[in-house]
Amino acid sequence: MSRSVWKGPFVDSYVLKKAEASRESGRNEVIKIWSRRSTILPQFVGLTFGVYNGQKHIPVNVTEEMIGQKFGEYSPTRTYYGHAADKKAKRK
Amino acid sequence: MSSDLICVGSISGAYGVHGELRVKSFCANPEDIETYAPLSDETGARTFSLALIRPIKNGFVTRIAEVATKEEADALKGTQLFARRDQLPNLPDDEYYHTDLMDLEVFDTGGTPLGRVKSVQNHGAADLLEILVPGANQTVLLPFTLQAVPTVDLSARRIIANPPEGLF
Repeated sequence: MSRSVWKGPFVDSYVLKKAEASRESGRNEVIKIWSRRSTILPQFVGLTFGVYNGQKHIPVNVTEEMIGQKFGEYSPTRTYYGHAADKKAKRK
Repeated sequence: MSSDLICVGSISGAYGVHGELRVKSFCANPEDIETYAPLSDETGARTFSLALIRPIKNGFVTRIAEVATKEEADALKGTQLFARRDQLPNLPDDEYYHTDLMDLEVFDTGGTPLGRVKSVQNHGAADLLEILVPGANQTVLLPFTLQAVPTVDLSARRIIANPPEGLF
């Protein structure tokens, strides 16, 4: 069953505080968080979070398309390298 | 293995009894493996003219011109298929093949060495460079963004990084 709309999205309060502090300072930093369950809010766009995967903090650059998802979705807990083959990476 | 050979797939075994093979593609778009034909083995000594017949679970049924019987197909089981680097199409600015980024030396804006690129990953957000830091037992993930990686110099095989605070 999905979450009731009247409750609004869930975000751990410390994540909000850290994000706000980082935005105010204007520093280029990774905001380390352990809360994989927190929802990505519009005010997080442009910030970089280090989302813990049980071993280390995976940097996640928040973009508009990610709003409404959970942080944990971008920080996998299992590693699979695969083959490079003809895969491409784009600098944004 | 020659450094300009890139592994694009592997032969999983024979398919049926008429000399067809089961091939697994490692390409971003799996069908693209056919466009890099003729492929070669690890040493580059043997070439394979590969044609895809149809997709199956975990790969494709293929016909290789040099393979006519099931016995020959069985003998190739486990063979990795390689394409030459120059067969890959050119890319626009700010787009790079993972294979080109691997093993590049990473320096910060002051010229201090930070490490070497071990792999390129993407978990749904931006691409990430996994950097092997000398003397450390864990790797560091650096977002592959214009802000964090202002310069990629493939000819000099180096990357200039401006990592966010708290990463290294």
